Amino acid sequence: MMFLFSEKKGISISEKRELAQIPTLTWNNYISGNFTNGINQYINDHFPFRVKAVRFTETFRYSLGFRLKNKEKVIVLKKKDKSNISNDSLNHSPDKDFLDDFEEAYSGSLVILNGRVYTLNTGSPSMSPVFARMLNKYGDTLKGQTRVFSCVAPLSSAFIPAAKYEKYSKKNEQTLLAIKNSLSSKVYFCDVFTEMNNHFNEKLWYSSDHHWTALGAYYGYVAFCKSAGITPIALSTMEKKKRYPFLGSLYELTRDKTVRNNPDTVEMYIPQNVLTEAFRYNAYDLKNPQKSKVFCNTNNYTAFICGDAPLIKITTNVKNGKKIAVVKNSMGNAFSVYLISHYEEIYIFDFRYSKHNMLKIIQEAEIDDLVFALGMYGAMSNGTINMMKNLAYHKPQDYALVKKQESEIQLQEMLKREQDSLKRISQPKTPKTIKKDSLKPESLLPEPDRDVENNTE
Amino acid sequence: MVFSSLIFLYFFLPISIIAYFLFKSTQVKNVILLVFSFIFYAWGEPLWVLLLLFSGIIDYFNGWFIERYQHKKSIAIWGMISSVVVNLLLLGTFKYADFITDNVNFLLGTNLNKPGILLPVGISFYTFQTMSYSLDVYKGEIKAEKSFVNFMMYVSLFPQLVAGPIVRYSEIAKVIDNRVFDWNMVWSGVNRFCLGLFKKVVLANSVGLLVEKYLDIQLFDLSTPEAWYGISLFSAQLYFDFAGYSDMAIGLGRIFGFDFPENFKHPYAATSVADFYKRWHMTLGRFLRDYVYIPLGGNRKYQIRNIMVVWFLTGLWHGASWNFVLWGLFLGSFMVIEKVLKKYFDMLPRFALYVYALLVINYSRAFFYFDDFSKLKIFLVKLFVSDKPIGPGLANDISSYSFLYFVVILFCIPWNEIYDQTSKVYQKATAIYNQFSLLINVVFLLLSTILILDDTYNPFIYFRF
Repeated sequence: MMFLFSEKKGISISEKRELAQIPTLTWNNYISGNFTNGINQYINDHFPFRVKAVRFTETFRYSLGFRLKNKEKVIVLKKKDKSNISNDSLNHSPDKDFLDDFEEAYSGSLVILNGRVYTLNTGSPSMSPVFARMLNKYGDTLKGQTRVFSCVAPLSSAFIPAAKYEKYSKKNEQTLLAIKNSLSSKVYFCDVFTEMNNHFNEKLWYSSDHHWTALGAYYGYVAFCKSAGITPIALSTMEKKKRYPFLGSLYELTRDKTVRNNPDTVEMYIPQNVLTEAFRYNAYDLKNPQKSKVFCNTNNYTAFICGDAPLIKITTNVKNGKKIAVVKNSMGNAFSVYLISHYEEIYIFDFRYSKHNMLKIIQEAEIDDLVFALGMYGAMSNGTINMMKNLAYHKPQDYALVKKQESEIQLQEMLKREQDSLKRISQPKTPKTIKKDSLKPESLLPEPDRDVENNTE
Repeated sequence: MVFSSLIFLYFFLPISIIAYFLFKSTQVKNVILLVFSFIFYAWGEPLWVLLLLFSGIIDYFNGWFIERYQHKKSIAIWGMISSVVVNLLLLGTFKYADFITDNVNFLLGTNLNKPGILLPVGISFYTFQTMSYSLDVYKGEIKAEKSFVNFMMYVSLFPQLVAGPIVRYSEIAKVIDNRVFDWNMVWSGVNRFCLGLFKKVVLANSVGLLVEKYLDIQLFDLSTPEAWYGISLFSAQLYFDFAGYSDMAIGLGRIFGFDFPENFKHPYAATSVADFYKRWHMTLGRFLRDYVYIPLGGNRKYQIRNIMVVWFLTGLWHGASWNFVLWGLFLGSFMVIEKVLKKYFDMLPRFALYVYALLVINYSRAFFYFDDFSKLKIFLVKLFVSDKPIGPGLANDISSYSFLYFVVILFCIPWNEIYDQTSKVYQKATAIYNQFSLLINVVFLLLSTILILDDTYNPFIYFRF
């Protein structure tokens, strides 16, 4: 009865997904089992007190046993059920079977230590040569035109602060070393592991999320700069912004109370005196780009380049003519933001979603550097390595369209700003209703990303 | 549809119980059970429900035919043969087709395509059930059922349709036409159902969370203690999963006025493999004993061959893969060893026999788990020797799930064998349970619901809407 009269929601914020809707009854739907499965799913998703009941399982898990050390726990989670991803919900990729490379590679084993969650993936040295061969092919193809870099980040299991987990650290190192040893002379290797390991005691990873922090990504960026012959921007010269609290993916997976009591702070280091303009493109074509930003005003990992998109293009006022393409999974988001100090144009390809022909764009835009900046889980399976390889084979698009469309959007924005400022001038001043923001001087140039608030609590 | 789902627990079951008890006539009740049983089956198998109907129709007529020519065995036998052939063909086609093709390709070097038919749920149970009916009619042990509705209800009865126990027609024949409402029986059914749900959802699923970690993810890094730990967890998961379903089936049967046979009798308290056979999936053991072992000669002639044939079939029944057959043959070999060395086994203290049986049974579970023979080989060796050190997680896992293991062990101990039913301890414990049974049932149901809901909670790392 409660089920019948309870409110049915469309989405679940905590699960970051659409909830199931009542399926349509057709003969084909019935015979294939989709109808009855859909009804099961609908009942599961809309059962009264579902989310509240799920929170109780945390207490249940704690009552299953005694702990040798209260602050340490190794847990194993079920493999993700792919059946409840609706077709419409994958707005990035039409490939329903592909969840995310972290979720695909994720072993389901986690250790919680002092309120921090570490994934217990160990890496896989056996896949390293396969990944390196893919990079070598890009190196051969782009020889003499574009430098190719391998900047693979280790997993958080490389930095668990307890001696007994040392084997995870070693295997991470071995995996990255195996990549290095398999690279040809045409591909530059960034030693991200060593750079991060030198700062072992700093907060390189979030406690509740599977991503590295801005600081961790900064050391990845330093490793890149070292192999690219660039002088990295010092942390001290950047503006530091904070957002609090942040409970990320690993908290949602574990729902552990020690993690909940230890929420993260999203810190951002914003390079100074750089004006940027960003556009997001969809997976298949270069039509209808959306205006975006380099830093977003959120208290989670989407703060960096405003989250994933198949292709993001950033233009800066660093007028040095240098251009770079980044091939990345989500780990590359926090990395890419530091590049705005060194390049005039940055093209960020998310290999999981992008169906663009990256080679054509590199050649037409005359890109100088191509960097593969990703979390190691992306380099550990044939599926994801093939996705990176396929960026060279997708159907080419009319690249000239990019510049044309971006110019049109810029023009429209300029006109809109001028109209707005004319309107304000023509209106009588009413001090009581004037908002603080409207007192800022308007500029015809795109605004730098300064809208990140200092919200530290 | 499965018992441990929200749709079953909160929609299908309450509606079917209300509909059932709305009417007094047993005939109407049978029709209601038949309709709900078909809805139950068709919910998960929208197409293969026709197969269930086909198997039922064939054996209804086989039973009728056998009874009609009961006085002339040379004719009646064709009804029995028809039942055996049709049911084995159904099993062969829908369960073993891929397995047979694989083996033919391997042996003859051919390249036949596998049919790739998805196994219809419960086919191993209902084909054996209808077959046993025709065989029993042929043997003259039961009368053929005249009413098609009653017969189809027996075949498709949803409490035991998908996971057993394998019920013989003789066990429900007395009440099929006339069931008297008995509140004590209904309540004992509710108790048994909730206990089964607890075993399946709370015990089996919780223990099962760790199985994959030890037997799959960390397989190559396992030390010997970890290998034993992992396989023991799998043993427990398998038992509580299967026994939980059987408990739920028996409980549901009682609610609807049927007394189904027991299927498990504390198998991990066995003192030998022979004893284990009498305690594990007892209705299958009974089927093979009555229709294979005894007709082959039982313990009168070729006993060793007969034992091995029965264990071969037991293994093959559990799954269409050689690893299941190996599991059966492995245990069958130990049963033969026990026969041959009986006088030495008899000299061992009871505790040593418990340990022996537990080690052999747990070791045999490796055959049950791994259908990949290269992994099976690695794991079987690791159960004896491994060059890997014990990993950092073992002590943590043992301590973090210690209370769960305590409950698991508690449920594995045969208290009713240790304490006689007339003993004061047994009676006192029963009285306490009866007093708090409502509360216990509510706790079991709530806890199971929460854990089922936890399964539906599926957070994504990235936004999926």
